[in-house]
Formats: sequence, structure tokens, C-alpha cells
Amino acid sequence: MSDGPLIVQSDKTLLLEVDHPDAHACRMAIAPFAELERSPEHVHTYRLTPLGLWNSRAAGHDAESVVDALIKFSRYPVPHALLVDIAETMDRYGRLQLANDPVHGLVLRGLDRIVLVEVAKSKKLAGMLGARIDDETIAVHPSERGRLKQALLKLGWPAEDLAGYVDGEAHPIDLAEDGWKLRSYQQEAVDGFWAGGSGVVVLPCGAGKTLVGAAAMATAKATTLILVTNTVAGRQWKRELIARTSLTEEEIGEYSGERKEIRAVTIATYQVLTSRRGGAFTHLDLFGARDWGLVIYDEVHLLPAPIFRFTADLQARRRLGLTATLVREDGREGDVFSLIGPKRYDAPWKDIEAQGWIAPAECVEVRVTLTDAERMAYAVSESEERYRVAATARTKLPVVKALVEKHRNEQVLVIGGFLDQLHELGDYLDAPIVQGSTTNKERERLFDAFRDGSLRTLVLSKVGNFSIDLPEAAVAIQVSGTFGSRQEEAQRLGRVLRPKGDGRQAHFYSVVSRDTIDTEYASHRQRFLAEQGYAYTIVDADDVLGPPLPKID
Amino acid sequence: MATTFADQLRSLPDEALGTLIQLRPDLVVPVPADISALAVRAQSRNSVARCLDGLDEFTLLILDATRLSRATTTALTSVDAILELTAGVDPDDVRAAIDRLRARFLLHGPPEALQVVGAVDEVTSPYPAGLGRPADFLDAQAGALVADRAKLRRTVLSAPPAARAVLDRLAAGPPIGALNRASLNRAAPGRADDGTPDGGKPDTDRAEVAEPVRWLVDQHVLVPVSEAGRAPRPDGELVELPREIGMLLRRETGPLGTLRPAPPLPDGPVRDPRAADSAGAGQVMEAVRATEAILEALAAEAAPVLRAGGLGVRDLKRLAKAAGVDEAAAALLIETAYAAGLIGESEVGARSAGGPAPDVFLPTGAYDLWRAAGVAQRWATLARCWLAMTRQPGLIGRRDDRDRPINALAPDAERAGAPQARREALDALADLGTGAAPPVDALLGLLLWQAPRRARGREVAHRDAYAGAAVLGVTGLGALTSYARLLLTDPEPDETDPLGLHPAEAPADAVRALDELLPAPVDHVLVQADLTVVVPGPPEPELAAELDAVAEPESAGGASVFRVTPASVRRALDIGYRADDLHTLFRRRSRTPVPQTLTYLIDDTARKHGGLRSGSAGSYLRSDDEALLAEVLGDKRLVPVDLRRIAPTVLVSPRPVARLLGALREAGYAPVAEDAGGATVLTRPKARRAVTRTPRVPEPLGPPLLAGPRLAGVVEQLRRGDIATRAARRAPVTVRAAQGQAVPGLTAVQQHSQAMAVLQQAVRDKARVWVGYVDSHGATLSRLVKPVSLSAGYLRAEDERGESLHTFALHRITAAVTEE
Repeated sequence: MSDGPLIVQSDKTLLLEVDHPDAHACRMAIAPFAELERSPEHVHTYRLTPLGLWNSRAAGHDAESVVDALIKFSRYPVPHALLVDIAETMDRYGRLQLANDPVHGLVLRGLDRIVLVEVAKSKKLAGMLGARIDDETIAVHPSERGRLKQALLKLGWPAEDLAGYVDGEAHPIDLAEDGWKLRSYQQEAVDGFWAGGSGVVVLPCGAGKTLVGAAAMATAKATTLILVTNTVAGRQWKRELIARTSLTEEEIGEYSGERKEIRAVTIATYQVLTSRRGGAFTHLDLFGARDWGLVIYDEVHLLPAPIFRFTADLQARRRLGLTATLVREDGREGDVFSLIGPKRYDAPWKDIEAQGWIAPAECVEVRVTLTDAERMAYAVSESEERYRVAATARTKLPVVKALVEKHRNEQVLVIGGFLDQLHELGDYLDAPIVQGSTTNKERERLFDAFRDGSLRTLVLSKVGNFSIDLPEAAVAIQVSGTFGSRQEEAQRLGRVLRPKGDGRQAHFYSVVSRDTIDTEYASHRQRFLAEQGYAYTIVDADDVLGPPLPKID
Repeated sequence: MATTFADQLRSLPDEALGTLIQLRPDLVVPVPADISALAVRAQSRNSVARCLDGLDEFTLLILDATRLSRATTTALTSVDAILELTAGVDPDDVRAAIDRLRARFLLHGPPEALQVVGAVDEVTSPYPAGLGRPADFLDAQAGALVADRAKLRRTVLSAPPAARAVLDRLAAGPPIGALNRASLNRAAPGRADDGTPDGGKPDTDRAEVAEPVRWLVDQHVLVPVSEAGRAPRPDGELVELPREIGMLLRRETGPLGTLRPAPPLPDGPVRDPRAADSAGAGQVMEAVRATEAILEALAAEAAPVLRAGGLGVRDLKRLAKAAGVDEAAAALLIETAYAAGLIGESEVGARSAGGPAPDVFLPTGAYDLWRAAGVAQRWATLARCWLAMTRQPGLIGRRDDRDRPINALAPDAERAGAPQARREALDALADLGTGAAPPVDALLGLLLWQAPRRARGREVAHRDAYAGAAVLGVTGLGALTSYARLLLTDPEPDETDPLGLHPAEAPADAVRALDELLPAPVDHVLVQADLTVVVPGPPEPELAAELDAVAEPESAGGASVFRVTPASVRRALDIGYRADDLHTLFRRRSRTPVPQTLTYLIDDTARKHGGLRSGSAGSYLRSDDEALLAEVLGDKRLVPVDLRRIAPTVLVSPRPVARLLGALREAGYAPVAEDAGGATVLTRPKARRAVTRTPRVPEPLGPPLLAGPRLAGVVEQLRRGDIATRAARRAPVTVRAAQGQAVPGLTAVQQHSQAMAVLQQAVRDKARVWVGYVDSHGATLSRLVKPVSLSAGYLRAEDERGESLHTFALHRITAAVTEE
């Protein structure tokens, strides 16, 4: 029996013992086909999913090599049934191909006639397939390319998309590498994406996803449509692109609620694209406005459902998804896979932190004990009100203040989900508030003041969840959130992970009310980060508020 | 015929007789009285059929050749005649086959005058080697055609292509074809016993078939018959190809068709034995784990037994999901666990309205013993029971004849032949050598050659055996594993330890071999900050019990992953752990530092644990006046009601309300009762009464008196019995013994099958036989008769004087003995 670092479980998870001497080699061997699910400190969990196996098949690995890797590194005998299952699953990919036929245009080709007959009979594909050309080929209308791929994935016969991409309208874009260089993992991410044609790059917040996007544009050298979550994030993209590439202010257009510019590089928000008038999407023309050579989706995990539908029509264009996490609260990971593309690159957060690209962070959960009056108010509140009552307890205010004082020489962000509470906090801490109704101009002013250090403390509402670039923020204090959202927690931590000038440690505090639903949500939120290797420390509010009382022995 | 069959047996040396009995062990079960009885049994249909079942394809074909080469007049043949038919094959192979047949006494007599045992013709196809009957037997004109070799050749050559195709199909055997469309759909009754592919049922359209066949019939190449093996009839619905024409058409392969003296060895990949063992061992762990998961799920929620027996589809799905295996594998494991006695029926199901309580399937007490054993031992238990169980799990989920799904544990999946099929399948694989992993189809081909009569119809069972072997880890990567090979030869564990209570003391070879392949149990865990606890290997029983108590299982397999949650910590506190115990447990077991989160979680949960208290009481006493309650509590007269203070204003007592109220009133207090809503209840004394009973009615004494028709019936029965006894006095002892009449010194009871054998032989020999039978009134009689025919469930026989023909239903015959 070998003494490998890997343990294969019957539920198709793989446990990798990190401290084992062969752990690195094993990680290299299994990374192509297994998805990293959790990476706490000692044992990382990978999962074998059909998506992952098909990904690796698409990258040219065969079942034999997967099975060999498992057997080579496995500590214990691998069940025969699992090996058979892997071989059978991998064999399903590529039996069907989408290809360009010189005569008939886009066609679905079956390398296995029986499979082709099986899927052609399926009701789910009704209306997507055209005339049968011969035994092995069926015509497909080009507009159905995305939907067909979606449907075939659901049937368990994912098609290999060999139909290629249009080059789009050429536009010169280069990286301006003056005094900085693309980091090694960023370059790997871009290479991985370009080799695959379309797909998603997963990098932690603060690891420079914008630069991956910029480098992809420099590789494509074509007009680019960038979809971002909100206007502020869009402006940051713009600023970054001007600084890091040969693009100028005039070449970059903003397509948002305020401005409707369409230029060689256009940055549009999800919100404006999904806004409707009289039930119809009014800004769909944007997708056809130019011959885009590349479409970049920022924060793919937030992609709203209508955008998926538009994306289904964009299958001939290269698509790059950027995200810190593929976890979607709505579970539509399969749609991301079939419409934007498979995952092309990902690296565990801790690895990048170890390389010094993101700041090391300390995560602390501070538990406050509610006063008896608050406990009574919580006990009698309606169930839908309970989280608000617990999360906005006034007892949290002195704790937040104590934390701010503790870090009085650092830039502190206070993030919350309830506006009343934020206003209370603003008054209590004497700090300005940025919320949804704050004008973009006012936001820019406050962010600039925060960046240059004249403003030490800033209170943020949910707008702080996404894509706000505040590199100097070193401390984040979370007082309330959107229930148990895991990706929100990751995003908020990301706010303080930009590497600091002096390599300081970042701090992330989560203030929760003990013995309430707030605690339950907090532990659910922490799950993702704990799985990424961030160990939360839990302290009592009393430890924060003052030195412990001297003990009398 | 120089000597009789019995004489030949009698003249055998002891060794040869012993060999025969070894080759055909059923001849001596039960031990026959003498050599004549042995001879009768050796020629009986049952025994001959059983012997033929064990013969391989080549030997059976040689037997067919023997039948073909018999001279029409003497029914004798010779080795040379047989060799003539088998040109192209090594004569030594043929001689060896003939020797095998002679050793089994299917052929007897000297080499130049061989005789085939009569029953062979009765239990095999009327068409040896797939050839029809001789032409002159079928039809004079066909005989004339065959006699003229040149004309025959011309006719066959001039056949139109469609007709030639029909001829080729019939020549390949069986030589029977349907004439019209109506009988096309009916399976041709002729059985092919030569192992050649079944080609006798042309399934093309009538228009295509009828015309060429008509032509062939007109040319007398085909002869119409009414029924396979029956006399030819011009208006028959079937056609038969005469033997001589069939042999002519088989010029290329030889008259017997393709002969394969050696078994068709399947070629396939040969696995590295270690790789096969490793994959198998992995599957063993998986099978044991899945079985345990299924049984745990069953224990958590018992599954009702369906009215028709078996486990419902929904329950099967649920158990399969709980174990994380597909339904086919789950069905196999459930059947195996049932066969191993780990699952049983119990009557503890919830009582439905009105009806009786339904039975439920639950794990048995044996399950707890099984679970305590090591993985290898547990597997060996499962594997042995799987080998021996008369169930065919592959049928589960299929549909039966009436298109109803077959359920797990249902009677429909019972197959008596399953254990033998499983043995055959695994032995065939074992004989191929270490690491051989041929495709299943090739193995089925080999099995078909080894014993065609048995394997035909058992393909499903064989396939099922291979599928089951893969799921249970008996095979790995398609090859038989080293430990399973030991299991196949392993003797059963001895009877001194029937319960398997001390498996570790003397583990069987297979268990020991398997143990070496399985990971050693570990006694430590890795605790991580996300509150997961990883056991990097199979946990020791003690560790497993501890983790079961304090954490939720999340994933199982080579290792197990648990997660500590507030609920799991609370559960541990509930069963008596204290926070300190939990801290110690994790510190002691963990190889890595215990994360602060876990420590905090335990302390936090322990702090809240017990914040609410609950208990039961028979009654309560409350008052806003604390002083009054204090007085009541201190009152000596109220000691018997055991009052206890649980809050300043509440006392409780284990006694019922009425008792408490009575005691209080007696002591001079003025209590009032409350109902569940808190309202005052007024009570009034009630007169007491006992439960009403129905008085007993006297019963009549003594047995009832008989009169009228019932009395007459008894008398008639007595008389009839008397007559039977007198008649039976003339019959031999065996017949009398079978009729239940005590015979001093003789208690032999004849088996029904033996009676049949005697009758069959008597028909052949035209001998007189004593037949014991039960008449339509239930009386036992015996008669000396001369059997004429034995068919369709009836014996037809002439009576002693040969005057009249009697018919006996076979099921009423209790014994038959040849007249001495």
C-alpha cells in the first residue's frame, strides 16, 4: 500500500493532506480535473464533478491519465466503481461536436451515431436542431449555439464547441508595463483563458483581476465590451485601463444610467442592461452596436439571469469571466459553464497571500451580549424581523467604536446592511456615510479623501460589497449583512486585502450579537472563507472594550 | 445385444463402478438396493438429463455423432463409424470424448458395437447435431431424391437464391422451419442441442419465404411435417430438411457443423494482480460502507414490507441515496444483507387504521455483531452469503411476465439456480489464471461451451454474477482478486463458533489476505478551523463511536470527514459529555492544534446547555401567596403526595390531581382544580362501578353422537380400507411400504422419480410391473400390469390378462416394482 497524500472518498471528494511531502506534486496532478472545494489549513478538499472531468477532457486529458493520477497518489485502494464512473463520465464529453461546416454552416456532429439519435429525440432540444444532413450531422441555427450547449449539458452529453470565434473589429491595445510587470499567476490566467478561447478566471479579491482583463484585451487586440456591477466599479476599470494600457480616455466609453457612450472599449453596468421599459429590455442593441472581439464579465457570480440569456446569443465572441468565487447563491454554476465557459484558472487565496500579492488578514468575530431589554425585544419580535433586531442592536456601537480606536492609525471601513444602523454609526463615530442614494460625485470625493488619508473612517452600505478600490483600507468592521450570504463576506474581506505599502496585516472584524440568529448567519457567511483557509478567532466584546478586570486571588 | 445393461454394470470391477458413481453421484442418492436398481436409475430420464447437463459442447456433439451413426436395424454403432463423421478433428480428441461418454455409461458395449442409452433420445432434441431425420423415413419421394446423388446435387444447385438461403438456414440447424406466417411468430418447437447458432426461424415476410419454400417442397427437398419430431404430414405447417441433404449442405464444415474440441479461451487484457487486488479492495471498502449506510438508513426509518412481499421502489431509492450508490448496487447489497441475516422482518410497524400492523424490514441483532467485526471479516460474511443465496438481484427493477416491476426482497427474484450459476461464472474466470480480465461476453461464450445444456437460459444469471462480483469487490478491474480466489476455495468456518463471535482468533485465509490490502485503522484526527474533523483512514471502533457522538458525518470513504456543529455538540452534552470532556477528547485525538473556533463553540454551547429545564409531574399546585405554599410544603400530613417547589409560586407532585386535591382538602386547605386552559374545574362525587361482564354459558359434555349419512360414511370408509388391505397383500413389499402398510424388517420407501424410471424401463422392456396407486376415493391399491405407454401425465397399461387397457394418472402412482 502506498503512502500517498490523497484519500479518495466514495462521494467523489478527494482529500489532500497538505503537509505531506508529495502534496505539491499531487495538487499539480489532480488540479486539471478536480475542483478545489475547500482549503482549510491541513486537509484540502477537491471534488470530482462531471463539469470538472469534462473540463479536463476539453484540455486534452484522458480518463486513463485521471485514473493513473488517482491510483498513484491515493493512500488507500480506490473503489473500482469510482474508476469506472470516471471513465464513463469523461467518455461522454466530445461525443457531440459543434463545428462549422463549409457548406451547411453551424452543425452538430455526432462521433457516436447512437448518442446523436438519442439527443435528437429529446424534447429539450425541440426547435434547436435543423435539418438532418446525414447520419452523423444535424444542422444548427447559429442563434441556437448557446442554448443548445446549455441543453446538451443538462442532458449529460456536453458538446465540444469547435465552431471557433469571430475576430471582431481590431483595435490596438497594449499593456503599458512601465515600472510594473504582470504577476506570474496573472500571466498564467491570461494564457489559460486564451488557449481555451472562453472561460472564467477565478482569483481572490485584491489579486488584480482588472489586470487579467487588461492583459486579455492586449492579447485580443480588438474592441471590447466590459460588463461590471455598478458605475463606480466601471470608473475604476476605466482608471485602471488608462493607467495600465495604451488606451486613452477617448477610447473608453461609459454606458450607464448617466451616460450612453459607445466606443472601442465600452464599460456597461449590469443594471442598465437589465433595465426594462414596458417589459422590454431597452439596451440590448449595445451587444450588436459594434463587432466586439471580446466580452468581459466582471464578478460573474453576480451575473443577473437576463444577462445569461443575452450571453446565449454571443457564443461566437470570446468571453472572459472574472470572479473571486464560483459559488452562486442561486446555484447556476452550470449556466456559467455552458454559456461563458469552463473555469480556465484558479488559485487558492492562501497561495497568493503566501506569495505576497494580497495582504495577510486576521479575521475576528466579536460577539456582543445583548442587554436584557434587547434580548426581550428580540425574543418577542416577528420572525422576519428577528435578524434586523439582532443585527442592529445598539450594544454593537461601543464595540465598533472601541475597534476604531484600537486602529486609530489605520484606514477603517465600517460596513453594514441596514441604513438606520449606519446613520447611527455615522453619528456615533462622526464619520461620513456612502450609501445607494449618495451621488456618484459625492462618492468619488469621499473615496478620494479616504485614499489620500485625510479621511480615516468611512461607513459603507451594501454599495461597499463590490468593486470599490480603496487600496489603503486595512481594517473592515462588518456590523450587519445580507443574511447568510457567503459571497458577500468574501467580497467585504476583499476590500482590505490589497497589499499595503508597508506589508501591514489587514484586519477583518465581524460584530455579531450572541445567542441570536445573527450568530447563525455569521457562521454560515464565514464558511466560504474558513474553507479558503482563513481561521476566524472568536472573542467576547468585553475583551475589546477594555482590559480584563484584575483578578483577586 | 450380447449382454444387458445391468449385466455390464455387474461385470465391472469395483474401481470402474466407483468411477461411474463419482461421475454421476445422483445414482446413489438414495443408495439403490442392488445393481438392477442402479441400472434402472442410470437409464432413467432424470439421471441421464442431469449427466448430459454437465457435458461440454464437444462431447455432446460426439454423442450426437454416435446417435447419427447408429445402424437403422441394430441401433448399434462403432468407434470407427463415429470417427468417419468427425473427419477434420484429431481422432484422439474424439476417442477421449467417447471414453468420457462410456465412463458415464451413456454409451455402453464394446467399441465395435456401441449402444446409446435409450433415455438419451428421450431427453435430447430429435435432431442430433441439428440434422433432420433420414429422407426415406420422412417421405418416399424425398428418399428417392436422396438416393440419386447426382439428381440431388443438381436440384440443390438449381435452387433459386432465396430458396438456397432457406436451405442454408435449415442446414445450420435446427432443420425445422415454419411454412406460413401464422406459425412464424410461434417459436419452432425443435430444440437445438448442438451449440450452433439458432437459424431455423426465418423471420422474413411470407411473400419472401412462402414461394421459395413452396418450390423446395415441390422438389421434395423439404418435407412438410405437423410437429417437430412427429410423423410427416403433407398438410403440416412446418417443413423439415432431411438428414442426407443437410449433411450435403454442410460439406464445408463437416456433417456435424463446426467442432471445437478445445474450449474457446477468451482473450482480454491481463491486469497486474496488484492493481486488480487494489481496485477490488477499494470496492470492498465501498461495498461494506454502503451496506452499513443502507442498514443505518433502514434502522433510522424502517421500510414496510409490501403486501406481495419485498421492499417498495421508493424505499429502495431512499436507501440507495442514503448510501450514495445506484439502485442496482443497492438492490444487490440489500439482498446480500438479507441473505446474511442482517435484515429481518419485524412486526413493530405503525398500526394503520383498522387493518393489521404491517411488517417492516429492520436491521437484525446480527447486524450489531457484524458491525463490530473488521472490514475484511464483514466483507467475507457478505461475499459468502452472496455466493450461496438463491436470489438473482439483477432481476430487481426489471418487469416480470405480467409487466409488473420486480421489487427487492420480493419472491419474484428467487432463483434456485442462482448459486450454481454464480459458482460456474466465477470458476470459469478463476480457471483463466491470475489477472485475466476478459470481456463478459467472451466469458459467457466459454460457459456456453463448457456446459451448453446448462448455460443456455442462464446467460442472465451469469451476467448478473459478474456484475455482482464487481460491486462486491470479488473482482477488481474485471479480474478475480487474490482474496476472492481464496474465498472460492475457502471451507466454511467451523461450527464451534456458529455466531462468528470470535472472528479474530482464526481468520480465514481470504480474510487474512484481504486484511493486508486494507488500510490499517487510525486512532487520530485532524481538526481544522472550518470545524471539520478528518479521520485520515478507517477509524478505530472507539474513535468512530466518539466521533458519532460529537460530530455529523459529512463524507465517507477511505477517510471520513465530520463536521462539528452547535447541534452535534449539544447532542454530545445531552448524552453526558461535559465541555471539559470534549476539549480533552479533541486534544487527545487531534494531531493538529485544536482551532480556537472549536474551543469557543464547545464552551459557548455548553454555557447555553440546560438553560431550559423540563420534566413531568402528576399535578401542580400554584398560588400567588408564597407563604401559603411554604406552609403547604412544610405540612407533615402532606408528605405522602411528595410536593416539590420548582419556583417561588409553584409546587409539583408526582400524584394525580384528584389525589392531591383530596389530601389538601383533608388537611383543611381549600384548593380548586384547573383545566389545561387555566379555568376552574368543578367536580362532584361520582358513584363507582366495575366493568360489566357477560355471564358464562354452559358447554355440552362429551363427543357428539353420530347418526345418518355421517355414520354410513364412516362404515364405508372402514370397508374400503379392508378391501385395500386384502388387495395389497399380494403386492411386493416396496409397494406395500409406499402405501403406508407396515412391513416387518423393511421400511424402504420408493421415490416417485424411481417409480417413473421403473415404468419407463418397463415400457421399453415390455415387462410386467406392480403398480401401487391411490384411487379417486383416496384408497391405496396395487395391481400387476404391463405398461404400454407413458405420456402426458398418464400411464397406459394392460391388465394381467391383457384384456383391457387401464389409464393411471402419474401423480397418483405411489410405487412401481418390476415383477420378480
